[in-house]
Amino acid sequence: MQQTEVDVRGCKVNLRRGGRGEPLLFLHGAQGLNGHEPGIEALTANFDVIAPDHPGFGQSDLSDAVDDIGDLAFFYLDLVDVLKLDHVHIVGQCIGGWLAVEMAIRSTERISSLVLVNSAGLRVRGVPRADMFICSEDELLKLLFGGKGAAEWLRSWRATPEMEDIYDRNRAAAARYSWSPRLCNPKLDRWLHRIDVPTHIVWGNDDRVIPPAYASAFKNMIGGATVATLPNCGHLPHVEQPQAFANEVSQFIRSAAR
Amino acid sequence: MKVFIFHLMPYADLDMGYTEKYRAAWVVLPNTYFDPKKGHELYNRYLDELELAAELGFDGISVNEHHQNAYGMMPSPVVMAAALSRRTRNARIAILGNAFCLREHPLTLAEEHAMIDCITGGRLITGMVRGIGAEYFSMGVNPAYSHARFQEAHDLVVQAWTKPGPFAFEGKYYNFEYVNLWPRPYQQPHPPIWSPSTGSTETIEWAAHPLRKYVYLQAYSPTQSVARYLNYYRECAQRMHGYAASSDQIGWSTPVYVSDTDEKARQEAKPHIEHLFNRLLRLPFEMLFPPGYLSTKSLKNMRSHKRSVSGQEHTIDTLIEQGIIVCGSPDTVRKQFQDTHRLLGFQNLLCLLQFGTLPRDLTEKNIRMFAREVMPALQGLTDKEYNGMDIRAAE
Repeated sequence: MQQTEVDVRGCKVNLRRGGRGEPLLFLHGAQGLNGHEPGIEALTANFDVIAPDHPGFGQSDLSDAVDDIGDLAFFYLDLVDVLKLDHVHIVGQCIGGWLAVEMAIRSTERISSLVLVNSAGLRVRGVPRADMFICSEDELLKLLFGGKGAAEWLRSWRATPEMEDIYDRNRAAAARYSWSPRLCNPKLDRWLHRIDVPTHIVWGNDDRVIPPAYASAFKNMIGGATVATLPNCGHLPHVEQPQAFANEVSQFIRSAAR
Repeated sequence: MKVFIFHLMPYADLDMGYTEKYRAAWVVLPNTYFDPKKGHELYNRYLDELELAAELGFDGISVNEHHQNAYGMMPSPVVMAAALSRRTRNARIAILGNAFCLREHPLTLAEEHAMIDCITGGRLITGMVRGIGAEYFSMGVNPAYSHARFQEAHDLVVQAWTKPGPFAFEGKYYNFEYVNLWPRPYQQPHPPIWSPSTGSTETIEWAAHPLRKYVYLQAYSPTQSVARYLNYYRECAQRMHGYAASSDQIGWSTPVYVSDTDEKARQEAKPHIEHLFNRLLRLPFEMLFPPGYLSTKSLKNMRSHKRSVSGQEHTIDTLIEQGIIVCGSPDTVRKQFQDTHRLLGFQNLLCLLQFGTLPRDLTEKNIRMFAREVMPALQGLTDKEYNGMDIRAAE
């Protein structure tokens, strides 16, 4: 994938893009991207994959116009316009899934389908989400990963001083958008009926940040939505089970989205 | 020099077995560890200690704010300041500080401060702080907006105190159609504002600005850091703002223990001060600095600085050696303050004379001995005894 920049109303957005096919926008989660996400690479076999750093994450500017997920949703609708993406598939993980939903309840004019991957956004009474901000690094890795892969993932964040800075920067940006209420918009359930594009929900079954009960909650509130759960997989399917993740996304788009 | 007593009001009866089960004495430590009957005794005892200090001639008595922890039982320092306001006559009452920006409604605090200022006839000092990182977990406020909210809450409160009402305030975080404070503060234009910090260049630059000239108070730091930051204030005033800061604009806050001899002081204070630093200040880095609370650059700097204060297991010897606490015979303690004053010239000193589990009898002895044998010499210190700014020390 090629690294490039796009200017969205004065905010410089860093993104990676690669592959052939229909455009697919991958919206990352609270951890951001470090370039070692084989699941995203795998999607380039079937799609024109666009994976931006959200404002304030990675190498993208922070934008004064973007304070919360609602602002971020409008910002990304602008980005879709700037990139002239018609009929884009959106795959969002964690707060990226939340963001995809917030975009879709505002406008699905340019959106073909949604895939929500271990998505934040909802609040399910009695099923707490874990607090990724208060825990130590060791605890965080246990929350994020169902099986193996945590050590390797962390190593890629520690590879260079620049990557270490981006790791800190991403945590700060994640707090900016999702601190309170933590990882959700309590009013989101009021508007999910507005989503009128095919929607698939993919969930790492061992996610300890946002438990699988949230997959059912999304399914029940979005008309026609389907669910697939991935075994031996935590919060980051695109990292931990890249092939299973990519297969789910590709098959769904090939069948349902046409 | 003005000499203040400072109290944290720790939950001294904390069952130390907690360390086996919980990673901090903050936020995640269940409040079932708090026994209200012991709380009743401790609050009243601690208020007695502050009142005693006021009687013994301290220039001020000081309280502060922390939430959901055993380190300091004052989620509302205003309650303590109110309790003290009618039990003291001359001492300044310093709230160091209140985190206005942790409130959705900073005006309630502005009102309460104005009330205390009126009740005391202008004895209030208002400290404005962001609150430590753990507070952002406790109060749910987004740490990524902490600096901006702090500035805006400050502007709102100062305007509420000084601008004739009613007026509208339209900010990013705070919006009020009617700002019209009844009562207005007794002191004009408003109570003195202090900025306590453990060392933030942003805070120092902000406090030193000629529109503010707020007192900067350096807390909990090794001597080297105290020197660096207090000198940085003077340097900022001179280089960035073109004026010479008065020594009244800077202060140092530190735990102090005096006894008959150096050895005895060390022996008596040891378990209690180590309890403070190793148990009550037990705070994992993630809680102390939630994401966004510091800039990425400051976060890096803090990682190294904090190892010296809360990142290591302290002994009284390391604490004394690094100058984080001042402990010894009256002669030793007096001389140490005089020497440090000669170098740094601070005109405000805050002494934490009760700390950790230090019991009632030793605390009272400490307060009395300090007031009798150390304080008078310090209160006589002026700029005449100050060597003046050594620019090299600041660089």
